[in-house]
This record gives sequence, structure tokens and C-alpha cells, in this order.
Amino acid sequence: MAKPLSNTVDKGAANRGALVSDFTRQLVPILPLLVLIVVFLIWPIVNVAIMAFEDNYGNFTFDNFVVASQGVYAQAFGNSISLGIYSALLASIPGAVFAYIIESRGSEFLKRIINSATSVLANSGGVPLAFMFIAAFGAEGSATVLLKAIGLDIYAGGFTLFSYWGLVLVYCFFQIPIMVLVFSPAVQALRREWTEAARSLGASKWQYWRHVGFPLLFPSFSASFLLLFASAFSAYATARAMTVGTIALVPLMIGTLIDGNVIVDQFNLGKALAIGMVLVTALAMVPYLLIQRRVARWQK
Amino acid sequence: MKRLGFKLPSAGLFIAVLLAGVFVLLPLGSASEYSFRTPALGPGTYGWDNYAWFVSQPDFGTFITLSLLLAAVAAGITLLVLVPTVVWLNLRGQKLRPLMEFLTLLPLVIPVVALAIGAQTSLPVELQSNQYSLSFFYFVLALPYTYRTLDIGIRAIPLKTLSEAARSLGASQIKVIALVLAPVVRGAVIASVFLTIALSLGEFTLTSLLHWQTFTTWVTVISQSNILGAIALSVFTIVAAFALLLVVGLVSIRTKRRQVTEE
Amino acid sequence: MRFKRFAAAAVAVVAAAGMSLTFAAPSQAAINYCKVTDLQSSANGMNGLVAAAKKEGVLNVITLPRDWANYGEAMDLFSKAFGIKINDDNPDGSSAYELQTIATATADKQPDVVDIGVSALNSVTGPGRPSIFANYKVQNFADIPAEWKDAGGAWYGDYNGIIAIAYDSSVSPAPKKISDLTNAAYKGQVALGGDPSAAQEAFMSVFAAAIAKGGSVTNIQPGIDFFKTLKQNGNFTSVLANGANYVSGAYKISLSWNFNAPGAIASAKAAGKTLKYVIPSDVALQGTPYIQAINKKAPHCAAARLWEEFIYSENKGKTSDKITAADKKLPGQALFNTILGGQNIFVSGGATPITVKAMTKKGLLIKAPAGLDVPKSAKLVMPSPDNQAAGKSLVTSQWPNL
Repeated sequence: MAKPLSNTVDKGAANRGALVSDFTRQLVPILPLLVLIVVFLIWPIVNVAIMAFEDNYGNFTFDNFVVASQGVYAQAFGNSISLGIYSALLASIPGAVFAYIIESRGSEFLKRIINSATSVLANSGGVPLAFMFIAAFGAEGSATVLLKAIGLDIYAGGFTLFSYWGLVLVYCFFQIPIMVLVFSPAVQALRREWTEAARSLGASKWQYWRHVGFPLLFPSFSASFLLLFASAFSAYATARAMTVGTIALVPLMIGTLIDGNVIVDQFNLGKALAIGMVLVTALAMVPYLLIQRRVARWQK
Repeated sequence: MKRLGFKLPSAGLFIAVLLAGVFVLLPLGSASEYSFRTPALGPGTYGWDNYAWFVSQPDFGTFITLSLLLAAVAAGITLLVLVPTVVWLNLRGQKLRPLMEFLTLLPLVIPVVALAIGAQTSLPVELQSNQYSLSFFYFVLALPYTYRTLDIGIRAIPLKTLSEAARSLGASQIKVIALVLAPVVRGAVIASVFLTIALSLGEFTLTSLLHWQTFTTWVTVISQSNILGAIALSVFTIVAAFALLLVVGLVSIRTKRRQVTEE
Repeated sequence: MRFKRFAAAAVAVVAAAGMSLTFAAPSQAAINYCKVTDLQSSANGMNGLVAAAKKEGVLNVITLPRDWANYGEAMDLFSKAFGIKINDDNPDGSSAYELQTIATATADKQPDVVDIGVSALNSVTGPGRPSIFANYKVQNFADIPAEWKDAGGAWYGDYNGIIAIAYDSSVSPAPKKISDLTNAAYKGQVALGGDPSAAQEAFMSVFAAAIAKGGSVTNIQPGIDFFKTLKQNGNFTSVLANGANYVSGAYKISLSWNFNAPGAIASAKAAGKTLKYVIPSDVALQGTPYIQAINKKAPHCAAARLWEEFIYSENKGKTSDKITAADKKLPGQALFNTILGGQNIFVSGGATPITVKAMTKKGLLIKAPAGLDVPKSAKLVMPSPDNQAAGKSLVTSQWPNL
């Protein structure tokens, strides 16, 4: 039996229900987090976003956005979006399988090792990351030399680390750990009882995955996929160290426009590109939310 | 820990760990080979010289301590603010989840250089002049990972059922969170705290753009004309962060065991 | 709602713990050196300036790499001789970062002095714009050519460089001119130190290639085409040319300012590599001088002015490793006369100091590092800021599709 006192929250809420919308009521407890996000992220960015609508003299204009959606900038958006998708595709599946294997078979000790390692690796990037791969797979890298010794010359077929696909490969070094890290809790939540229940009801492996495992994991998988997309879409330092700008990518252009030594004609173009990145992310949320809704219905 | 899914051949685990080991150690090992080179003693010789060099730098300890402190504060914010919020969202904030998912993706896609400019033009000077403001930025930058890790971990647990059961037994809301829900979401909480710490220890771009000196920015200053020393420092940073988190993780397994036996 | 209060209290606790910590107030000089516009009109001369700067004890510089034009020695010498601690904010940062910092950083983090590119200068100066720099004429102001200084002393050029070819000693045959770089022996070995649409050194390298291949200061296209050819024949690799990548063998040849040579050669040697520099025999591309200026918001006004006097000093004198305890006790003017001047430190770093003509006349130039002589056959050119602006828009649109 519920004690009347501890139930006041719900009762009060129900009484006010007619006056206060569900949404606002749900909003109150997350205010501390919202405040931090607003102060340390949204407010600063809004200040920058306003500048995206200004010309060099502070007058209102759409010109920055017009330029940002044309020519080499449009191409950069295309490249960055495809890089995000390929990288997410390539990293999500091995990451998910690895997470599943570790969570289902690994000892507690192994899990801690994996957990610590993935936390660190997920945050690797930039010049040091590029260097690690150069040290291994560069023209004189240890792996290259090793493979050559057993008769496999990876540079014979025109391979180069410093290209679009080279980036996709190097990004795996932080993308797969991100996937493992974010997806593991979902696998952990696949409770043993469900497997056993399914088994005792005579479900085959295929049936279990089709009706229990997959539907339960899919929302988490798509949430992780979206994160991987955003992560590769926006990666900056590693790409800069490996391409010196020879591939059109939005984050590189923003860096050049806002922080380059070569000063640009349109001061605020870089800010317009930054807003463009936020818009692409918002658009990427749409298919994601549709999938989530679909799955929610399916689970019922 | 008992296994969760259908039986997997233990070879599967072995192969997975082996592949992951190669995947991580090949680049890391190749880089560290350079960090042990001692050209002063002749080609092909190895030693700890490059590591001894940075450890002997006068500010080494100061900046490590500072970075650890900032990371600890950021981890504290994750624990005190983010964890309760995600639990709440899963209990009865369902409608807000799409909004939160979008908001927590933003730190990843907003270019840090733009964030730095915005922060300096818009935040009060008192806030900007306080070095602990960095911890708040680290917390926000870690959100894309920490929020998802927590949300995914908590999402699949029947929180509502658990908390209602506890409450019907007379537990208060805080007690429900502290005693019933916290242990269940433990794995996801540890992962998110780890992520915050790792990100805080390694963050360079924003720290530098906001003109602060931490371990990472100090590293770039001192290693400017010492190529092998710089490589040694980056290897050290990765390995030390891993070791630190591993120790924290192992301690948490122990305390968990103790709790279990006490109960 | 108990839960809400719990979370809110948590935020408050964390925030309070953070906010109660130190706030460093900018130090203040006894005499207001922020208003001093030259040393001649200042009552105490160099002795007073040195004393005031020593009292401030700190100098904030920004984006000065140690290997760059021997800035490492300049900072060490200044710091050691005058007992002034130097904070170097973001040594690998750009000119845009310097200007951004002046525009946005809080008072205590403002740089005292900047060293920026000409195009960055042009973005903040011009008719009708309030100056962000303090007027100060160094003692050798007259020795700076008129086209490279502001008549009022708001800014002045300090040094410039020439694009050189840097190569590993193992490269065979040794490259002598830029057009040599198409040689099939250099497969996968040629790199640049940055993105030409963002980094000045890489941008000027493309300009150098343009002139070597029949272009001019008004026509950078042959330079872009040259790198396109190098990429197609596999010689150009888009790895970032930096110390670690060089040591790992990811590239062996790069184009670089000659004033990076002494530092880079020493760093490479410490890592077990032999790096060589040569000025290409087909083109000696001179960069426009970098620009020194004192920030109007400088937190250390005396130290900032002393730094400029030091940078424009043409003295021959002691380097940082030769300074003795007795030297440090000398009165300001005597101490200043004892140490090697900034213009000569640039010379020892391989750069051309802005006062080179006056110094040659006075016989004050020290010996430049060997091996960086400009070959007689090389065309000596310097793209003007306008040439650079025109070239830049071509590079911005074409480089990403190289």
C-alpha cells in the first residue's frame, strides 16, 4: 500500500493536470541540466549564429548562407555527410558485435579493461592519432614493413592513408570504441530471464533474435548509429592532419574560415557553415525519430 | 557474471579480444616504438630517455594535478546532474527525450572554434575567469557520449516497475533513486563517468582557445622542439588515462563485492 | 518536488565550489607606461622601462612557435636577462586566433604583443576603423622601411622569409629547384606544412610553385596545377608536414620558410635524422613581412614596450646561454646593450630582419646560418597583399579538389 504522504507528487500533478501541460511538468526536473546546456553551449552558439546573418559591416544579410550552399561548400557538405554515413556503417556493426560478445561472455575484469580502454580511445584524435596510423601503416610504418616482409606490399596497389577512405579507416580507431561504449549498456539490459523464457518456450536462435533480441536492441543501435554519424561528420583535427585540405570537408572549411592565417572576404561565412552543420544534424534526427517511433509501435 | 544470450563458443570471445588487441596495439605500439628511441646513444638503441625528459620538467606535476582536478569536477557534475536527469527522463519524461537527444548531439557537431568565440563574447567575465568553468565545458562536450550511454543503459530497465514497487513498500523518491535505481544502472553510470574523465584529461582545442593552461596545452608548449619527447608524451597520456580508469574501475568492482557480502 | 530540489542543490554545490576560486588581477606598473609612445619622451629612458617591466614580471605573447624565426631564443633571452616570465598562448595558433583573442579574451588573458600576417593586419586596420593597437615608436623606428610601418607607430614589420625546400639526407638525387619535385624518384615523398587555404607557409609554397612553372605574382594557377600533377604522379602526399610525421618517414621533402631551418634541423638531429634545406634555384619567393604590434588592451604595458625595443634592437651581444648573474644586475640600459638584439636573433634563425639595410650599413649584421644562400639564378619575387588576396580565392575553390 502506498503511503499517502509519499504520493503527494503524483496527486498534486494530477490535480494541476488541467492547467499545466504534460510537457512543462516534465520539463521542471531536467532544468539543472538544461541550464548547463544553455549557459555553456546554446547561449554562446546563439551569439555566433546571429553573426552568421551579418555582413562584414554588421548589416543583416542572407549572403553567407547563399555562398555556403554553393560550389565547393555544397560539395563539402556532400562529402562530410557521406563520410559520416560510411564511417557509421563501418564502425557500428563490428562495435555492436564486439559489445555483445564482451557483455555476454566476458568476465567482470575484462569488462573493466574494455570499458577503460574504450573511454580513452573514444576520445583520441587529431595529430597524435594520425601519427599512430602513420607509424603503423605509413610508407615506412611497422605494419607496412612487416607485411612487406611476408610478401604483401600494401602500397603496390596505389593505397594511401591520406585519402577519403584512409580517413574512414583511421576514424574507426575512435568510432568502434564509441560504439562499444555506448551500445554495451543495451546488451547488458538484455536480461537473461528473457532468453531463458524464450528458450523454455521453444524458440529457436533465429526466433529469439527476430522477436526478442533485435527489437529490443534496435532503438539503441539506431541511437548509437546517429552518434557515430555525427562524430565522423564533424571530426576536424584528424582530417586536417591527414589531408591538408585536399578533400572538401565542412569542418575543415569552418576551421579555415574562422581560424585560418589567410583572412577571408566574408568574415561570417564560417559561422554560416557552422549553422549548416547544426541543420544537417537536425535533419538526421528526422529519419532517426521515425525509426524510433516505428520500433516503439512494433514493440507493443 | 552469468552469460546473457545464447551460448557462444568461447573461441568467439578469444577471437574478439585478439582482434581488438591488434586493432589498438598495432598503431599504439608502432607509435611507442619511436618514443623509446635514443638517437643520442646511436641508431637502433632504446631507453626511457624521452619519458625521463618530460617527467623532469618543472611543471609536470602541477599540470597533471590541475587536469585531474578539472576532470574530477566534471565527473562530479555528470554524477550529480546528468544521472538523475536521465533517470527522470526514463521514468516520466518520455516526451522530452527527442529534444534531449538532439540537444546532446549538438556539442559534437558545433565546431569548437565557434563555441569558443561565442563563449568569450557572451559569458560573464567572472565565469570566464574561473578555471573551473572548464569542467562545465568538459561536461557539456562529453554529453553526446555520456547521455547516450546512460540513456541506453537505463532505457531497457523497467524503471517504472522498480520504482513503483519500491514506493509501494514505503520508500521516498530519493531513497528509490539512491538505493533501488542506482545499483541497477551502475554499469552505465560508471561508463559515463569514465568518459567524462577521459575527455576532460585529453581535451585540447577548447582549453587552448579559451586561453587556459592544462596538461594538454602544456604538452604542446614544452614538446615543440622535442619530436620524440612529444611522441612519448602522447603515448604516456593514453596509457596513463587508461591505467587511471582501470584502477578506478577495479576499486568499484571491489566495493560492489563488499556491499554484496555485507548485504 | 524533492527530486528537483536534490538536483538543483547539487548544481549549486558544484557551481559554488568552482566559482569561489582565484581571479588574478592584472598587475600594474608604478609609472603609466600604457601611455608612453616612445622612449625619448619618457623621463627615465631605458633604465626606467626595464625597471617597470621587471616589476610587472610577466609578458603575454601569443602563437610564437619556438622553432619559428628563432623565437625560442628570443623568448629565452628576454626572459632570462630581465627576469620576466613569458606566457606563450597557443604556440601553434594562427593570426586569426591572435586577433580573435584581442577581440574576445578577458582582461588578464589579453596578449601584450602580437606577431601577425599582413592580410590579418589589413582585416583590422583601414580608414575609419578604431585601432586595436597602441602607438609606440621603438628607438630604431627610422630603420624600418616606410612601406612596412604605420606612421604613428601602431604596427611595424619585423622579419620575413623565403620559401625553401626541406629534404631528408637520404633523398637521392637531392632536389635543387621546385620543378625537380616531379622526379619519379620522389614518389609519395613531397608534403606541405598545412592547408594552403588556411596556412600562410603552404599558401606561399603554392605561389612559389606558380612562379617556378611560368606563373607570376598575379597568376597562381600554374602553382595549383603543379601540385595537381604531383598528386597525380603520386609524388605529393597530403600528410601534414611536421616533426613527428617526418621522423616516421611519412614524407621526405617539404616546402618551408627558410627561417624554420635552424630549429627544424636541430629538432630532426635530436630525433636521429639529418634534415637539409636549400633555396630553390628557380624561384626565391619572399613572404611579406610579419607585423609586430602592441595590444591596446595589453595587461603588461612596460613589458610589452620593452619586448618591442628588444625585437627591434640591432645589437650584437650575448645569447641566453651566455648571460651571467652579474649581467642581470646591470642597470637597464647597460643590460639591454649587453644582450643580442631581436633583429639579429631573426638573422641567426635564418630570417631576413626588417632593418636589414640599416644594419648592413652600420655593420651590425651577424652571420646567417650557412647553406641558405639565395642562388643567383633564382627569381626574387614578393606577392603583394593584393596579389595574395586574389591568389587565395583561386586556392580556396580549387585546392579541395586537388
